Amino acid sequence: MNALLAQFLAEAADLLTQIDEGLLELERTPGDPELINDVFRAAHTLKGSSGLFDFPELTRLTHAAEDLLDAVRAGELPLDSGMTDDVLAAFDLIRGWLAHVTGSESLPPSAAADAAVLITRLRTPIGGEAAPEPTTVEPGRVPAWLAYVDEEWLAATAAWLRTTSSQMRFVRYVPDSGCFFRGEDPLHLIRQVPALAHLDVIEPIEWPADHDEYACLIGFVFAARAGAGEIGYLFRYVGDQIEVADLDGDAIQRYLSGETGEALKVAAPASGDDPDLVTEARAVLAAALHALTTNPTGSAHLISVANAITNAAHVLGDPVEIREPDVVTLTATVTRLLGDTPPPEEPEGPGSVDDGGQVGSRILKVDQAKVDHLMELAGELNVAKNSLPFLARAAEEEFGSRDLAQRIRDQHAGLHRIAEDLRAAVMDIRMLPLSVAFARLPRMIRDLGRRLGKDVELVVTGDDTMADKDVIEALADPLMHLVRNSLDHGVEPPGERRAAGKPATARITLDAIADGDAVLVDFADDGRGVDPARVRRTAYDKGLIGAVESRSLSDADALDLIFRPGFSTAEEISDLSGRGVGMDAVRAGVEKLGGTVTLRSEPGGGTSIRLRLPLSMAVTQVMVVSVGGQRFGIPVDLVAESVRVPAGEIGRVLHQDVVVLRGEVIPVVDLARVLEMPCRPDAAADRAIVIAGVAGQRVGLLVEQFHREVDVLLKPMEGLLAYADEFSGTALLGDGLVLLVLNLKEVLGLAARVG
Amino acid sequence: MPLELGDTSATLTGVVTVDEVEPFAAWLRGTAKPRVNLRKCNHLHTGAFQAMMRFRPKISAAPADSFLAGLVLPLLEGSSGAPIRQESDPS
Repeated sequence: MNALLAQFLAEAADLLTQIDEGLLELERTPGDPELINDVFRAAHTLKGSSGLFDFPELTRLTHAAEDLLDAVRAGELPLDSGMTDDVLAAFDLIRGWLAHVTGSESLPPSAAADAAVLITRLRTPIGGEAAPEPTTVEPGRVPAWLAYVDEEWLAATAAWLRTTSSQMRFVRYVPDSGCFFRGEDPLHLIRQVPALAHLDVIEPIEWPADHDEYACLIGFVFAARAGAGEIGYLFRYVGDQIEVADLDGDAIQRYLSGETGEALKVAAPASGDDPDLVTEARAVLAAALHALTTNPTGSAHLISVANAITNAAHVLGDPVEIREPDVVTLTATVTRLLGDTPPPEEPEGPGSVDDGGQVGSRILKVDQAKVDHLMELAGELNVAKNSLPFLARAAEEEFGSRDLAQRIRDQHAGLHRIAEDLRAAVMDIRMLPLSVAFARLPRMIRDLGRRLGKDVELVVTGDDTMADKDVIEALADPLMHLVRNSLDHGVEPPGERRAAGKPATARITLDAIADGDAVLVDFADDGRGVDPARVRRTAYDKGLIGAVESRSLSDADALDLIFRPGFSTAEEISDLSGRGVGMDAVRAGVEKLGGTVTLRSEPGGGTSIRLRLPLSMAVTQVMVVSVGGQRFGIPVDLVAESVRVPAGEIGRVLHQDVVVLRGEVIPVVDLARVLEMPCRPDAAADRAIVIAGVAGQRVGLLVEQFHREVDVLLKPMEGLLAYADEFSGTALLGDGLVLLVLNLKEVLGLAARVG
Repeated sequence: MPLELGDTSATLTGVVTVDEVEPFAAWLRGTAKPRVNLRKCNHLHTGAFQAMMRFRPKISAAPADSFLAGLVLPLLEGSSGAPIRQESDPS
């Protein structure tokens, strides 16, 4: 891909995010001029850079959105949610296009049609179906392009207009050079202008030697008595290419007598004095120059570059007519423009040409796979380092050299520190703020809220908490389900809220805090809450629980039922959630990450859901135990405690070994039996039991011996072992042994079957 | 056929579309003192108009069409198509 295009795509992604965020923010604080400006500027930049490429639909659509935003910025109309919807939709469409561009370097075939619909919608609030808004010169001012009009005719007309105290409408129409390809015939358009009085042609200063017959190099200036509406309608598709000036006899007379000082200024509307625009124009020129040096072929491309240059020159107040899209002239023009125009006042402004395109070079964009590989290597280094203590012991015991052993241990200590630092550094690279996972939510809440007619305000705190990118990425889906469920089932319509004495606008809070090596994400709404009685009834109706269970369940356990697959409390199934894939998907998603979900609810007062997630999934802490002489790993997250109890204290209830611990009866599973390992328990010895919490239940695992905890790099089971569900993966230990890490949920299932 | 190209003179008839632009321009380019008959021409595509502005053929017969005759023909026949007040360098 062309480097310039790649850069455009990367920038566009950022700009689109900026626009999205800005628009949502605007809904909360309508009319904030700073915000409107930000959004407008982002849209404007996007439009500007899109002009460098041959994506006319993209440019036209952004232009329409930009015009709407401009009108809002100028205070001509307030931004209502309908308009916001349209603007958001427009940029969503563009986002889709850019994805297509990334793949195929072209817009999808449906682009023109899709754009047309949206453009019409965007244009409606700012003056009907008139497509690109024609530039109108302020009344009384004389545009410089009047110079193209035949002076004799002007003089005669001026006299007549003065006598009759009437006005004449002057229009400059400069079709873009590719217009013939789109089936446009400018002369045919002009022919249709009612009451056309005079026509003049704008020729290029110099005709190119070998000009392309299909490039439109000329423009027109015409005078007519047609109404503004008529002109606007005729030129509705090329409104950005015309400029209209209403002149009376006096104005023309003043112009003819040479008072053109004012007029020349008008020639470049909105020029020169806006440093932002100048900065942007210069950036466009620099980009164009870059494009010219890298890609000097392709006439369509050259034409787009030429257009970009013309636009930029216009903004710089130094208009040029580029009628000859060839590399040499264009390069010369750009160089001249860049040389002539002083950089704007603020030299630190981003995109200023002086940076030479070095903006952002402090941040390195790295392929994710490379970081993953680095992570893996750092893990391997840790494992390799862990073999040194074994070597030290061997040196001491087998070779009898205590000195050597000591030196190896010293080396190990140094290596350990570096390896740990390295791992921490790599982990840090992979860390992302939770705001990445939260980014989609404001938009979703807004859209859903509007669809359901519910007013919802989102309050996010602690979104700068960091977590591993795998966790962040995997968190997106559960959060989405939570939002849907909350809006669909939790949050009441405004009327119901008011009746219950709550503010009409519901509040969803999202709070993230770091908790040791875990992240807690609290999601809460102040909706109607979950009614345990209703949950019980629904679960019973759906056959998820039996009649006895439905009576014996505590309220807390009843609430937990909503995480069961196939449960949905919405009385009517909506297309948002309520397809029975809501909360169980949340729990499944979070548990897959090695996290937990808990729910608290107060009927009428809201629901709060706490997600507890590991900070990182790359390194797992496991507790090593041995069973039947072989070592196994148990994820430390699940281990509550490890106890030794005398053999005699293990009782038996209903064919199940149990142990009573601080008054609590805990079932005990003999791992050796479940895993079919040979086991010769010493009848007199104490029993070693790991107490683990699995799916909210405490269970004891009878093992032979406890070992230490280790950090391991868990590799999933592959190949021949892929079927072995009772293991969640393998890890390499420092002494070269392979450790099988148990998947306790499956192991307990297996235990139940072995009985 | 809207376009009849002779050795030194061409006749444009009816509506000259974008399809005629290329052969017409090529003819103008390759003809020493081209003459163009516009009498029966009803519309001139901008591309064809541009080619005539570029090569300035002599108009041997004025068009009957009022738009072409009244507003376009003076431009084609103008002694110089260059802007009259070039020093102001309008955009």
